[in-house]
Parts: sequence; structure tokens; C-alpha cells
Amino acid sequence: MDSKLFLAENVLNEHRPVTYRSLSRALKVHANRAKQILFEFHRNENAKKPATVHATYVISGIQKTPEPAPANGNGSDEDKMMGSSPYLPSSMPDQDEASDAVVTTSIVLVREEDLEDAKATFQSISAIHVYSLEPSTLPDLNVLIDANRESARTHAQDDPLECGKQWGMIQNRNVKRRTGPRPPPAPVAKPPVAKPKSSAESTVPAKRPLQKEAAPVKAEASKPDEAKSQPSAPVPQASSKASGKAAPSKKGSLFSSFAKAKPKTKAPAAPEPAAQDVVLDDASEEEAEELFPESTEKAAAANRESRKEREERLKKMMDDDEADDEEMPDADEEPQRELTPVEAPPPIKPAELKEEVTVQGGRRRGKRQVMKKTTVKDEEGFLVTREEPTWETFSEDEPAPKKPAVNVPKSKPGKAQGQGQGNIMSFFGKK
Amino acid sequence: MMAPDTQNYGFLCPPSEQEEEPVYRTPSHYSPRLTYHLPAGAARHYQQQYGDMYFLRLAKLKPSVEQVAKDAWEGLVIAGENVRRVDRVLDVRQGELCWVAGTVYMELPMKPNILEDLTKENFTSAPPPRRTYTDPSNPEATQIMMEDESGRLRLTGNFLRSTQLATGAIVAALGTEDANGDFEVIDIKLPDLAPQPRRWEGKAPENGAETGNGNGKIAFVSGLGITGTSSDTLALELLTDYLLGYTGRSGKADSPPTSASKITRLIIAGNSLGASITADVTATSATKAQPKKYGYDASAYNASPITQLDSFLAEILPSIPVTLMPGEKDPANFSLPQQGIHRAMFPQSRAYSAPPPRGDDKPGAGWFDSVTNPWDGDVEGWRLWGCSGQNVDDILRYITIESSEGSPASSTRSDARIRVMEAMLRWRCGVPTAPDTIWSYPYQSDDPYILESCPHIFFAGNQPEFKTATIEGHVPLRLDGDTDMTDADGSDAPRVRILALPKFNETGQLVLVDTETLEVEVIRFEVFQQK
Repeated sequence: MDSKLFLAENVLNEHRPVTYRSLSRALKVHANRAKQILFEFHRNENAKKPATVHATYVISGIQKTPEPAPANGNGSDEDKMMGSSPYLPSSMPDQDEASDAVVTTSIVLVREEDLEDAKATFQSISAIHVYSLEPSTLPDLNVLIDANRESARTHAQDDPLECGKQWGMIQNRNVKRRTGPRPPPAPVAKPPVAKPKSSAESTVPAKRPLQKEAAPVKAEASKPDEAKSQPSAPVPQASSKASGKAAPSKKGSLFSSFAKAKPKTKAPAAPEPAAQDVVLDDASEEEAEELFPESTEKAAAANRESRKEREERLKKMMDDDEADDEEMPDADEEPQRELTPVEAPPPIKPAELKEEVTVQGGRRRGKRQVMKKTTVKDEEGFLVTREEPTWETFSEDEPAPKKPAVNVPKSKPGKAQGQGQGNIMSFFGKK
Repeated sequence: MMAPDTQNYGFLCPPSEQEEEPVYRTPSHYSPRLTYHLPAGAARHYQQQYGDMYFLRLAKLKPSVEQVAKDAWEGLVIAGENVRRVDRVLDVRQGELCWVAGTVYMELPMKPNILEDLTKENFTSAPPPRRTYTDPSNPEATQIMMEDESGRLRLTGNFLRSTQLATGAIVAALGTEDANGDFEVIDIKLPDLAPQPRRWEGKAPENGAETGNGNGKIAFVSGLGITGTSSDTLALELLTDYLLGYTGRSGKADSPPTSASKITRLIIAGNSLGASITADVTATSATKAQPKKYGYDASAYNASPITQLDSFLAEILPSIPVTLMPGEKDPANFSLPQQGIHRAMFPQSRAYSAPPPRGDDKPGAGWFDSVTNPWDGDVEGWRLWGCSGQNVDDILRYITIESSEGSPASSTRSDARIRVMEAMLRWRCGVPTAPDTIWSYPYQSDDPYILESCPHIFFAGNQPEFKTATIEGHVPLRLDGDTDMTDADGSDAPRVRILALPKFNETGQLVLVDTETLEVEVIRFEVFQQK
């Protein structure tokens, strides 16, 4: 039977907890049936060899009222009439009467070894079912959440509206879901459920739709298999890797959809992300970068370089300086690029300042020319103030590799060289 | 370990081949009101003076409270003296027995005072949270005053000790002015409960087919306190399972955990997020050598709680409609009325919300409805009025709660909460202390905090523990014979179900209210801890 295989593989071989919901999703069976499958597996395995499988249970029912631990919120919920007292009664009517008026049902998650103790706290039990199976007792039950999230992530493509019935979810005939601006494959709605627990990975859900667009196109064939065969691997990573390797050009186009400066031809590849709500674009942009960290060495190197150049250029622009000739590596790209309307006429430059920079160990060191004011007394006794370019050395932290670099890179250098300090609008407008 | 031959509850047995019938959820009748919806963008002004709100409140409620007072006190003779009605507080004459209506103002030693802040050049963005405004060591410092457009009158007397008042309430006081010029109070009347609409009055009446088939439940939860770490989520996971119908056998209707399919709607009353979303600003500014970055900054923003909330909502939304109110800790504006959490925060769940309003259109009610706080609306025909708890918390800062008659302090405290909620209903004001000590939008032509019609369910979120009570209004006397006593029980008097909703992240409690009887039921989710 398929389910036994699944459980043996996951619980016994891979030592991963399986909850009835993850099982239900993986095998596409009703949740109630999944509970029974778990129970049977647990019984059979432990019959063969005791304590090979550990279970957690969920008990629902009514707990005894004089309950030791969480004393609040159970008994004393009086449900009394406060009459038509004309004004705030300074003392409330006795509340001990009818203290049982509010039915409190408990739904409690219990480890296998605590099951009997837990049952003892119940006055009446309406249901007990297996919640999960795991190879050994869990010191921290929270790992079960991870199991659930992982399965949700793995089966992110299943539209809850369609599969819900299979899983045994309560159906609602009146659900209204917009399809409007979203891409038609609705399952996109689901993936973030899969959001991993580590906050590093869990940046912004916006990235998922994005990557969904990008990855499936090329990696579609391979991905489902991957996901199935090693469900532990978070799908997002798998797909991003796939797309990164299989489709470097795709990556470029993705960026290009944000950084308009790239040749137009590639842009159409990723129109959907942009079609999403505008609000997200900012976020997705960042995600995009993080998703493909240095997929190819070359690209990374190029990025670094161009970023550095851009920075320097920016600095110079700030310094009111005309760009010098020492670094225009991308000038050849210029012809490809169409002029953006916002480009400004080259303004007049006061002087030329130069800069020589080396980067090592994350620090930028170098010499740069700065204008110094010197005041001297000339031979006639007048004080003369003169501005002279002088060299000074500097060393500063290399700015952290930041995502904007990825978007802006190629277009800028070429342009800036031509015109030195641009109109401020062109700075904002053209990337 | 369970022996397989004991009671198996239907699940502790080998898988059966039995086909599971799909279960369908009872439909929800929902029509939110937009009482607290503020105009967007440029139409929202903050230049107005807050005085207008008090003026409007007094103008609206004075006739009601005067009516109540007149019924009670007209023709009353005390010690041979006729009780006289006085129009304005300044017209009270010394030694004369009279009654007058006005707005209560309380001067408390620890109350935040904007003038004080200004003189100390203390321009903080928010006043530091205080547990109480009173000074228990110095009860004399508390002054209760009554004011109207003409002036202020200090209230004194032993009677005040047995009542609870808060700034902003409109009351009528009976008494006499003493030699100090203070008004010695011997009785106080409130506007009492507002007229209550009948069920279904707000919207299309029931069409037997859909609503007649048994009772539904409205589920309330508050203080989910999602932090995005894995520590907070097991109870939430169990809650999700329950709402989706995975817990228990949904077919059995009468077993104690009410079948989740009866739940027609989930109302989340505030503080869905636990951790603060923005990281400490000082911590980030210390390390910054980089140029200032505008917009999204991943280092200063922890998206994990809201993402987790979004996932939770997206998981339950395919099955159950949700009304989400913001709370103190949620990413919404701070001053009341808080506007709904923006849909951009919910990339997954927003597919279920109503399409964004175009232009000046009123936003429609979506399957997923991110509403204001406070919020009112009609659910299953009942009028609901709720707040995420700021109103109750703030009034409690006005009141010293002595743990009287040796009862355990905790129960006194939660009783006090229910009593405060009752008082608000009888004051006909949902947030009396706004705009004094709760930040509020400066309404100019309307004071929406007045409860013009009495709700059927009045709830406040984020309370320390669950409490409920039913209160009844005064039955108006009908002197003319032809009253329409159509109700079987003849209950024309307003009846209100008061709910103090507990924080879910502390108690794991979900509150269910029956849609026919307004009976309350609690479901608690927890993880068994071995002692």
C-alpha cells in the first residue's frame, strides 16, 4: 500500500514527523482517513518492534472543571442577567450560580506517553485521533508545525478550493475569490503557507509569485520530480536553483523587467510579476536579487565591477565633477541603449578631479583629487585665496553589495560619462 | 499506548473504505457598516479642534439623559424641597436642590496632559503607557467635574465613590451646591441603553431555507499575537485544523466540540501580531555608515509575523469568511478609529477580499474583510459592535479597583471589565475617553462613538480572560394600550450579550456565539504539559 511506503520512508528512514494533514496532502486522502492510516501504521510497526514509532494525539472533549493548570477562563464564566439596574451596580450579583453555563471544550495535543494522564483530566472525551507520527518522542512539539508548513509548501500548487474536498475541509459554497489581476494559476495563492520558519528565508511572500513565473517555465519538468523524490528540500530553493542554472538569460530578463535599461527584447519574458499589484514591485525587485545569488561567477563579477564604477561615478556627480576617462568599460553598450527622454544636457564643469581606488579586504583605499582652498599672501601683500586640486588618500568601508546595483548597472556608466553631472531627474528616471 | 480494542472514537482504527461525505458550512449573512470608515487621502483632515466632538456628544445625548432624569426626578420632593431642573451647569444656585446634565470630566494626577508636555518641551511621539491615571496614595487628587458649553462644576459627595465615571460620559446629576461651590451629588442618571433594532432589521430578513436550518455560530478570537517564530503557532495550528473541520468528525453534530461547519464567520478582534514589526530604530542607526535608504529596508523590517498571519488567513479563507479588525499592535494607524490593515500586507489572502474601491466608492464587503476598529455591522441579522480593547483598557485607567470584600483580585478585575463595558452601553458611548486619553481622529460633524442604536453583541478584544454577561435595558413603560407585543416573550427591552474576549496567545481560547440564542461557548486549544 502506497501509504505504508510513504510513512516508512518518511518516518523510519528520514526521521521526519508526519502529521495527518501532511499525509492527507501528500496522498490526497481525506483527513479522517489519514488519521486512521497513521494509527494503523503506528500499531503495526510497534507490534513488529516496540517503540519504533512515536505518536502524538489530539483529544477533544470537556475537561474537568477544577482544573489545576490554566485556571482562568473556564469555570467562572458566569452568564447571568444583570437586570435592568438603573445604574452601574457597584456590586455585581452573585456569580457563583450558573458557573457552568459556558461550555468550554478543550482540544489538546498530547504526546503518546502523556496520553493517559491527559485523558484523566477529561470529564468526557468526544474524540481522540492521531495527530502525527515521528521516529521518537519530540522534546519540542513545535517541529510539527514545520512538518505541516513543509507539506503545505510541497503541495503549494494544490488549489485549496479544488482539493479541499479531498482533504475533508469544510466546503463553503459562497467563497468569493477574485481572479482579477492575479495570474490565472490560482495555486500561487498557496505557496507562502510554506513560508519557512527561519526568518532569513522568510523574507517577503511577494517573491513567490515572482519566482513561480520564472521558474516553472524552464524548470517545470524537473521540479515536480525533485519535489516528490526529496520532499524535504524546500521547493522554492530547488526551483530557483534550477532556473538559475538552466536559464541564465531568463534571469537577465527578469531583472530587465525591472531595470528598464536592458534591451527591450528580453523583457516580455516576465510580464506577470509586473502585472501584480504595483505595491509589490519594490519588494519583488529585492527578492529577485536574493533569489539568484551569484548564479554565475561571471555575472557576479560583472555586477561587482559595474557597481563599483557606478558608485564612483555617483560620487563624482556629487562632487560636481566631470567624469574622467579612466573607466568607461561599458561604453560599448551605449549604442544599444535608447535615449531616455529624461536625459539632461551636460552642464558646465568646474574642474576635473581624479580618483584612484583599489579594493582589498572589503575596504576601498586610494587617492583622490580634491579641491583645497589655499590662502597665501602674494608679493603685493594681498591675501589671495585659490582653489587647487590636491591629492589626498582615503580608505573607507566598501559599501555592502546592494541590490540596486544589479538593476542599474550597465546602462549608467556609458551615459554618465557623456554628460557628467546629469539632471537629477535623469538619476531617478533612467534606471 | 492505546489498546486498539478500547473505544476507538472512529479514528483509532484501521482505515475504512467508507466514503467521507463533503461537509458544507452554514452560510454567513454579513453586512458591515461603515460607521468608522474615514475618507481616504486628502479628504481626511486633522486641523479640526476636538472640542466639536464633545459638543456633538453632549448635544446628542443630553435629550436622552434628561428624559431619563425627568422620568425619575420630576416632582420629587426631598426634605420638603422640590427638585428643580437646571439648564446649564452655571445656573446652579447655592443651596438649591436641582439636577443638571453635562459631560463628565475627570482630572487625574497621572493623566497625560498635553499642556504639561508642551511646557516641558517634551515632544514625544506617544505618551508612555501608564497602567493607571489615578494615584492610589492620593485619592484626593482625583477631581470629577461636570461641564457643558457654559462652564464646569466640581462634583463631590459620597455617592461618587459608589459609582464609576470616566471622562466623556454624559450624565445627569442630582444634588445641591455646597458652601465651597462644589456640587454635592446624591444621585446620577445615565442615558441608558439606546433603542435596539430588531434582528434582521439591518438587512434582508431571513429566507427560511437558509437560516432556518439550525443554529449557526459566530466565532470570535483576539490577540492571536503571531510573532512569526515557531513558538507561538501550535495552538494556532490546532485552531486552523478546527476551523477547517479537520478536528473531530464533522458529521456528529451534537458532540461537545461544536462542529466547525456551524461556524459561519470568524471575527478577529485586534492584535493579530505579537512582535513589533519594525526593529529598534536606534539599533539600526548606530550601525549605519551607508547612505540613508528609503522604502523597504529588510534590515529594519521583520516581515515574518505578518507573513505568518497572511498564511493563516489564506489557509482558512477557502472555507470560512473572516472579518479582521486591527488592534493596538497591528500595522494600522494608531488613533481610533483604526482603519483596516491594508490589503497589501496580505499578498495571499487579499485574493479573497473585495476589489479595491474605485474613486469615492464605498468599499464593499469582501469574503475577507479587513475592517476598522471600532467596528460595527450586522452578522446573521444581529447588530455587532466591537473594539479591540483600547476603550476598556483606557477606562480602567480612570478607575481604582479596590479588590473589595476579599474576592480574588483577578475575578474582580475581569468583573470590572464587564462592568466597564456595561457602563459604556449605558453611557451610549463606545469610546468615551476618546479624544481625551485615546487618540482619535478629530471628527467634526459627527461623533460616531455614540451608540445610536444598541448592539446585540458588544465585544472587546484582548482582555486578560474570557468573560461574558447579558444585560437588559429599562423596559419603557407603555401607557397607551396598543403596544405591539409581537414577540412571544414580549421583550422589547434591549438585551445585549457582552463579550470580553481573551487573548488567544495566552489562553488559546476561541469564543463561539450561537446565532439563534446568543449562547456562548468556548473552545480552548492547548498542548498538554506534563506537570
